[in-house]
Amino acid sequence: MSSEPIERRVSYLGDRLKACRCKICGKEYFEMRDYCGNCGRKSFGKMANIDLFYEKGRIELCTLINEPTNKFKKLEHYVYGIISFHNGKIRVPGRLTDQIINDGEVIDFSSLEGREVVPRFRRRYQVGGSEVVPTISLAFTLADEYYPHQGYTIVQPNKEYNLPGIVGYAFYTSRFRIKEGKLERSVPFIDEDAVTAAVEAGKLSLIHSGVDSSLVGKVYVGSESNPYAVKPIASKVAQVLKLGEEDGDVQGVDAVDTEFACKAASSMFKDAAALVSYSKSKMKYAMVIGADNSQAAPRGCPGGELDVFVGYGGAAFIFGKYDVIAEIEGWYSCTSDTPDFWRRDGEPFPMHGGRFSGEPAYFKHVRKATTKLMEKLNLQAGDVDYFITHQPNPRFPVKVAKQLGFKDEQYAVSLQVTKFGNTYSGCSPVGLAAVLDVAKPEEKILITSYGSGAGSDAYLLRTTSQILDKRQRQKINVKSQAENPFLHYVDYTTYRRLKLGM
Amino acid sequence: MQNRPAIVAVGRTKFGEHYGKEPEKLIEEAWLAASNECDLERRDLEACYLSDCFLPITNKLGLEEGFLSELTELHIPMEVTRSVSAALLTAYHAIQAGVYNTVLVGGIEKMTDRWDKIRDDLMLLGDPWSYYAGGTPEANHELMLRAYIKKFGIIGKNLDKLNVALAKISVKNHAQAIKNEYAQFHRKITIEQVLSARKAARRPLGLYDFAPISDGASALVLTSQMKAKRITEKPVYILGCASATDYLDFPARDDLTHFTSTQIAMKNASKMARKVPLDLSVLEVYDQSTVMEMVSMEDLGFCEPGTAWKRIRGNCEDYGGYYEINGKKLYVNMNGGLKADGNPLGATGGAQIFEIFRQLRGEAGERQITTDQDSMLTGCSLEFEGFGTKAYVSILGRET
Repeated sequence: MSSEPIERRVSYLGDRLKACRCKICGKEYFEMRDYCGNCGRKSFGKMANIDLFYEKGRIELCTLINEPTNKFKKLEHYVYGIISFHNGKIRVPGRLTDQIINDGEVIDFSSLEGREVVPRFRRRYQVGGSEVVPTISLAFTLADEYYPHQGYTIVQPNKEYNLPGIVGYAFYTSRFRIKEGKLERSVPFIDEDAVTAAVEAGKLSLIHSGVDSSLVGKVYVGSESNPYAVKPIASKVAQVLKLGEEDGDVQGVDAVDTEFACKAASSMFKDAAALVSYSKSKMKYAMVIGADNSQAAPRGCPGGELDVFVGYGGAAFIFGKYDVIAEIEGWYSCTSDTPDFWRRDGEPFPMHGGRFSGEPAYFKHVRKATTKLMEKLNLQAGDVDYFITHQPNPRFPVKVAKQLGFKDEQYAVSLQVTKFGNTYSGCSPVGLAAVLDVAKPEEKILITSYGSGAGSDAYLLRTTSQILDKRQRQKINVKSQAENPFLHYVDYTTYRRLKLGM
Repeated sequence: MQNRPAIVAVGRTKFGEHYGKEPEKLIEEAWLAASNECDLERRDLEACYLSDCFLPITNKLGLEEGFLSELTELHIPMEVTRSVSAALLTAYHAIQAGVYNTVLVGGIEKMTDRWDKIRDDLMLLGDPWSYYAGGTPEANHELMLRAYIKKFGIIGKNLDKLNVALAKISVKNHAQAIKNEYAQFHRKITIEQVLSARKAARRPLGLYDFAPISDGASALVLTSQMKAKRITEKPVYILGCASATDYLDFPARDDLTHFTSTQIAMKNASKMARKVPLDLSVLEVYDQSTVMEMVSMEDLGFCEPGTAWKRIRGNCEDYGGYYEINGKKLYVNMNGGLKADGNPLGATGGAQIFEIFRQLRGEAGERQITTDQDSMLTGCSLEFEGFGTKAYVSILGRET
């Protein structure tokens, strides 16, 4: 049984690791306080709010938990201990996440103590299917492993561009993979889901852009694996990332979830761009996130054929007119009512139309949107530097690119399905992130998404010189996550267990 | 001091699993034992202080005073605390203030009625942020041991010695419990068993380092000094009692190797009793883990910080384990401690007082400590609520 008010209060402090500091004596406290224990009444009104969300901590002490309390049973074995921040000024309890500790494996605690860690936003513990999903950032990973620490520095906007475009982006996925044949796919850790991927991707995009989070006026989260049928992911993203002006515990931001199978996020790129361009909106930035723990029935069950390709991850893009790295030069969207892939309400896994998900669905819409946009902008295939499209499997994107006249060197960079699997709403956005990771200034990028149901959005982007300047702020990019030395490969049974989550 | 409140009788149940008994039955059993001992009637009682840590959670009993009223058919003032030591402290103050002359102090817990959820409850009540981060009731003890090892630079052979010393604490307490008819465990264990349980758990502490969960009840009768002399020839006086409080949140405390609450409570209680640690010869400490017993020996002032593990002497497997303090033998947890006597939270403190009462009156039978009689006159108990969040020290003596 969970209590909504308690859950809300714990999440409010714990998701962001809110803390405070006495301006008189400098003593720091985890959680918010109105006065300092050292300074007493004179410190009323002199407590500065700080947070540990972008900080790195240190493992002070640790031990192994192999008989967890009931709510942590699905984590089985994990390292738990005391994490200190700011040279021991603040100490919090925390567990190491992203570790699979096998039966009989002995942990050397003294080798872990002293190591630096990064707070990670995760599910807190398991609850019943009808309860609020609890989250927390008292989960940590080692800072010198898969996910290095990156500080968040706000950079004052410098140049205003004529056209709106992408000012920052990021891709986030877990460190776990399943490898079958040549195909590697990302697998969430058991405490991850679409919500945690959305928050992590959004966090990394703020770091990359240097944008002040309070200037983000709207956030869209596209997903088809939201753990809730009703309750947005975007509200969690807005609260944890402090998007929009903060007023008490309410953020001055518009947050909304979108759904259109795998184009739920890419569809909103133009809406975000339009919003920041509309002078009356006074909105400097808008964020679009596509995140999924891509769902598939187990193999051998109806819909199980999807299980071969599904991945996990999220990509976030911040749109604005200042310090743009890629301007939006045009777009074209098309839609038809083609039910090639669907999930009925209350069903855990999606179904799809077998052979009809190819030509009458994917190929028709991707070709239509791409050719229409090229016509509109008077472009030939050869004029474009990079072509990106939706990647439900390794074969489709190559086939459609060839049909459209693109050459291998134009689309090869974007093909990420063999590294991460199909990340559904994050799928063509991952391809875009991979291209932005390597693109040079003044290059043309054509991205065409596809969402079952069905429709496509095609965009033409042109990079600016700032793409190079901002690249150095990014330690975690598509390549670093694809070719990471700390990847952990799991077998099929573990993959299904992790994917199912807590 | 005028009017030293005194304990005139004690009673308790066996600790362990009381599958078939309701909580009421257990407290009744403990109270009847105490009242028989001092030949007191229910109607002689002027007030009751009952303790339970979480009967409202384990047994869905919200107004414990009500069932005690039904049980005793009394309508006197009754209050509930979380531990027997807290109840005793409250009763002590009331008697000393002259409000009452005869008060029943009791405690009860029924943990096995909720054995499957009890560890979640303990954590959520005792240290919620640690719980949310994935902590367990055992983890804080292990982290304290890690902090202790690091702070005092214990490495190599010394670390092995420390680990064996901690094992000896458990072995000693198990051996002592064999002679305690009320103890939860009557089973001798060996140092090897303790060490191999740690190895199997792959953790700093293992199964034999921790106290169990238990059911049980305890009771005592506290009276004014005048009344005590009329009731018994051998009253046991409360010479000093004090409590202190620390944060719920263990990681946020200043000192991770010791319990500040114990140090403060001991300082105040010994000042009140005009005793120094060396005056005390019977000691019941709150050994929820072997580490807790070790650091408590330091917090109470018997050993310098970082040294208690070097003081464990004697054949712990055969009722001969003691701490050597300044050349004197100090026997600790003669009833088997929480480790072997059992740890029904709300009743545990009553069992500690029970043991000191028996030892001071020379009624401990096979467990009776036989050192020189002069030093047998005072004893001390340390009880915690939570992981050192509250510490209660009570110093008892046969003479005012």
